[in-house]
Amino acid sequence: MTLGLPGHLARDSMSRALAHAGHCAAWVCLGIGGVIGVIGATIDGDPGGWTGAALAALMAALLVMVARHPTVTSTLLYLIAGAATVLILTSTVMELGTRFDTTNNVVIALPMVALVLVGGAGVGSVIAIIWATLGYGLGEAAAFLGAALAGATWSPNFAAATAFGIVLVVRTFDGVTRRSDSRRETGLHRASQQTRELAIRHDYELRATARLHDTALSHLVAIAAAGSGPVDERLRDGIRQDLGLIVGRDWAIDHGTAAEGGPRMMRAADAATRAGGTPTETAATLETAFAAAANAGLDVQMTGDLAVLGVLGPGRAAALDAAVAQCLVNVARHADVDEAELAIGFSDGEVTVAVMDSGVGFDEREVPEDRIGLRTSIRARIEQEGGTVRLWSTKGVGTTIVLTVPEGGE
Amino acid sequence: MSRMRLTQQEADPIGGLTAAPIVPIGAVIAFAASVVLTIAHWDEVGAPIAAALGIAFVAAAGVTASLSASPQFAPFTADRLWVIVALAVGGAIAEYISTIGANRYLYDDYGPAVVGLLILSVAPFCTWISLVLAGVLAAAVLSILVVGSAAATMTTVPLVSLFAVSSAAVLSLSAAAAGYSYAIVDETLAWQRDANRAALRRDAELREGIARSVQQSRISVLGREVLPFLAGVMTADRITVADADRARELAEALRRALKEGIESTWLDDLAATVRASRSIPVVVVDPDAAARDLDDDQRSALTALISWLGDGRRSSAIRIALAADTHGRRISVVADAGAEPPARRDLDRFAAVARAVSMRAEVDITGENVSVELSHVLE
Repeated sequence: MTLGLPGHLARDSMSRALAHAGHCAAWVCLGIGGVIGVIGATIDGDPGGWTGAALAALMAALLVMVARHPTVTSTLLYLIAGAATVLILTSTVMELGTRFDTTNNVVIALPMVALVLVGGAGVGSVIAIIWATLGYGLGEAAAFLGAALAGATWSPNFAAATAFGIVLVVRTFDGVTRRSDSRRETGLHRASQQTRELAIRHDYELRATARLHDTALSHLVAIAAAGSGPVDERLRDGIRQDLGLIVGRDWAIDHGTAAEGGPRMMRAADAATRAGGTPTETAATLETAFAAAANAGLDVQMTGDLAVLGVLGPGRAAALDAAVAQCLVNVARHADVDEAELAIGFSDGEVTVAVMDSGVGFDEREVPEDRIGLRTSIRARIEQEGGTVRLWSTKGVGTTIVLTVPEGGE
Repeated sequence: MSRMRLTQQEADPIGGLTAAPIVPIGAVIAFAASVVLTIAHWDEVGAPIAAALGIAFVAAAGVTASLSASPQFAPFTADRLWVIVALAVGGAIAEYISTIGANRYLYDDYGPAVVGLLILSVAPFCTWISLVLAGVLAAAVLSILVVGSAAATMTTVPLVSLFAVSSAAVLSLSAAAAGYSYAIVDETLAWQRDANRAALRRDAELREGIARSVQQSRISVLGREVLPFLAGVMTADRITVADADRARELAEALRRALKEGIESTWLDDLAATVRASRSIPVVVVDPDAAARDLDDDQRSALTALISWLGDGRRSSAIRIALAADTHGRRISVVADAGAEPPARRDLDRFAAVARAVSMRAEVDITGENVSVELSHVLE
């Protein structure tokens, strides 16, 4: 959502909206003129009423054309037809000689007001005022001529003059207030773009954070804990694999996106084969998760069909994969067991993966604030994809984490 | 939201703010019309008190309309329209009573024109449907007066024609009001759809650019220290005590950076941007990460305000504090006056924008600083 109109569109939009306002009022005037004509013809038995109604309908139809195609030709056509209407109507109405003293009356006012409210071709206050002036001038001239033909008294039409005055005031006000350029000064459009950029930046920071956490932190902690001595081969393999995933790549960008190319897909197929699945070459798998488990020496028993991951977009599947990997790493690191169960399923438009262990269990409230694996790598990742994370853990019994993500996604 | 339920003030807050002065202009014209036309047909006036009362009603309607549309009482609510219309129709009724039995022409009565003019004046603040309703109901009430007037003057003109004539002014002006409201909201929503589509298209390249700049961020710089270190350990035969110490340091730094990264919000990023580009201190105090609760439009409104305050030597320092309770959020933006401190008129623009995105806004300016208090209630 972007707040309001930007400065460069305000002029045209305001001009069109004001023209539309004038057209609506003009249609009402012409409609009322038509109704009065029909009533005159039917109730009063005045055949001139039909002429009046037909002319009002013609003007209304021409105004529709001006509204749809505001060209100079359509505007001039409307003004000419309108002036002719006023002329015919004035000579007819004033010829009767009984009802009105002068041309300053409501019946003649209706088409004259509609003439003033022509709107017309082009945008901007000056052009609109020129067209309105032309409409007003032509209307009064036609009324003057009609009065002369009928031998009646001409008098400026008060309603038409009022309509002209309103158009002048509104168009002048619009022209003057737009000069202050408060839209550009406020910079809402720019701010809206900046907000979007900040959101995307934050998203990337979070992804980069999760990435670095997954790849580096556990190794650093292992090195610090190991103290001096030979490098543990399992640690060496773990580092090698993680660095292999990221070195030589733009690691903050390259995070679970669809365009990652062949090598990752090949590893995905390998991992899936290890897990006993038979996915197609392009299907999403839990490659990272199985690799992480194998690396941590964790035996994973899987139930369910990996093919359900096919309902997820590549980005979402990768996020789920990374989150499951972190769950398995946590099991290996904290649960004090060497096997875990993994169940995968799909129902009601959601893919669910449950990671279960029969380890020592823990109380989530007792997890130190600075332990960010569960928060960043699991919860934040899944919630970013519109999913949920539920966790049950009992000390001495084990832990179950259920990750659910909706189908689709990037 | 559909265009039926939106006003220009909501869809285009700056446009609504810019349109506010048209209301007193319309009110003055309506008042002047009532005075001039009363004097013009003074020979028809049989009850001068009613005539004066009519003018007073018109003045009251004009004042109500002007106050209702002024930025400090924004947003304009639907009930204000009905109060204005009721007062204006009261003026028309008083005028009718003042000339009862002696009114020669309906054409020179100010009642319908004044009601229509006031409805037209408040068009930027009302939905098109409420403007149509106001016009039709006012026309219906005025038609009742026509019946009385026709009975009194014993005119030969058919009553239906008199209805049509008497309602022409109020209906045409209300139609103009509704047509304007509909068209401007439609134009604004169309632009917003286009802008959103363009923004989505731009997102891909934006992501690429931002991802590259993320490489320069705190996390990335740390990553550049961590990854070579791990590569070194991987290729080494032994881990030394120095390696273990360095690993501990890096793990601590990484944890700290990750924690800060997780806890920071878009507002911290914005503050960092303003700080870097304008070289003024910008402090964000947001212990509960309340900035995350703001929706896109509210974020845009706050971003516009902070960017504007940080621009053009308006402020020497900016402090943004967010406080949350169970009912809502309070956002306090305090800017110490710079070489060219902002004027209230300028800040009113931002307050109007904030009100358009469901936040209450109060602006306070002293010689030393500018304070904008925003609050919004959680739904």
